[in-house]
Amino acid sequence: MRHLKHLIAAAVIGGMAAPPVAAHGIWFAQRARQVAMIYGIGADDLDMVKRLPLVESIGAFDASYKPVKAVLRTAGPVVMVDADEQPTLLVAVLQNGTWSRKGAAEFEKKGRDEMPDATLSEKTVKYAVSIQGPLDKPIPALPTQILQIVPASVLPTMLGTPLKYTVLFNGKPVKGARVIADMVNDPDAKELETGTDGSVTMPVRNQGLNVIRAVYNGPTDNAKKYDRIEHTATLAYTLAHAPE
Amino acid sequence: MKTFVIALAGIALASAAPLLAHGNTTPQHGGVVQMTGETLFELVRVPAGVSIYVTDDEEPLASSAATGKLAVTIGGKTQNIVLKSGPGNRFDAPGLKLTPGAKVAVQVVEKATQARLGTTFVIK
Repeated sequence: MRHLKHLIAAAVIGGMAAPPVAAHGIWFAQRARQVAMIYGIGADDLDMVKRLPLVESIGAFDASYKPVKAVLRTAGPVVMVDADEQPTLLVAVLQNGTWSRKGAAEFEKKGRDEMPDATLSEKTVKYAVSIQGPLDKPIPALPTQILQIVPASVLPTMLGTPLKYTVLFNGKPVKGARVIADMVNDPDAKELETGTDGSVTMPVRNQGLNVIRAVYNGPTDNAKKYDRIEHTATLAYTLAHAPE
Repeated sequence: MKTFVIALAGIALASAAPLLAHGNTTPQHGGVVQMTGETLFELVRVPAGVSIYVTDDEEPLASSAATGKLAVTIGGKTQNIVLKSGPGNRFDAPGLKLTPGAKVAVQVVEKATQARLGTTFVIK
């Protein structure tokens, strides 16, 4: 019996400590020549239209990082991005709600106030930055991106080249963000944690679209409803393929 | 953070747009070309200004069927220009002068579908 109690305690602690499996994210990708906003993970390009009310902000920046108006437009089952001019960056924030679970059970869309015996309650927020044009200066900390991944050096032209990224939390490099090199084509990759300088270095995975993902658990701002805020950020960019 | 920003200063990142892909990428009007997917943009500098020719999947995109804009960034300042419809697939920016290092972000929007096609040139 005592052994069983230890097992149960271990399971509960494990449930508290373990990050949610497969943190979904948002990113921008090309669909039928247009730029679309995607919600999903791996090959799962999920229902973004349904989630449109969750989008807190959408924006674009020109080459000087001056804001450019951008709106989302539903085109059938896809959500397109209409920027007023050819953008250098696209950004978005999606408030994905509060989720709770007991032990290792599935997350339910409830706060701690609705599930008092939850072992974990968290608010989840998704951020996305996409590089759409050439850059000649570093990407700054962007106002809506509480968690943000920035490339710390020149984007290479070939896959396999190591690239350093810095993860910013509230505009400053943060230690302990968990990063993978491609949440679309390798979503279950072992996460690397950023060091004290907020950086991590990984090879560029694809000669095409790369969607880097970082997850960071920040402090709660409403302890009655959730224990922490899980921030999930993506940085998307494309390496050109060879001439046909 | 300051150190971080300084460390990043001066870094140039490669273009996100595919450079070459489908079809004929030889300039047809004496300009420079850039391909995004299957859309070919040719930027031509002429004494009267700048012209942009757009070809989509080997078919000229009639400028009468689209609107066009440029965002020209020189020395950290961006100038927005509405393109005028020219003959055929030509979009014009009369009077525009470009200097080396200028970035020219081109966007055309098909009137019928609202489809946006774009690329960014870096002038050499």
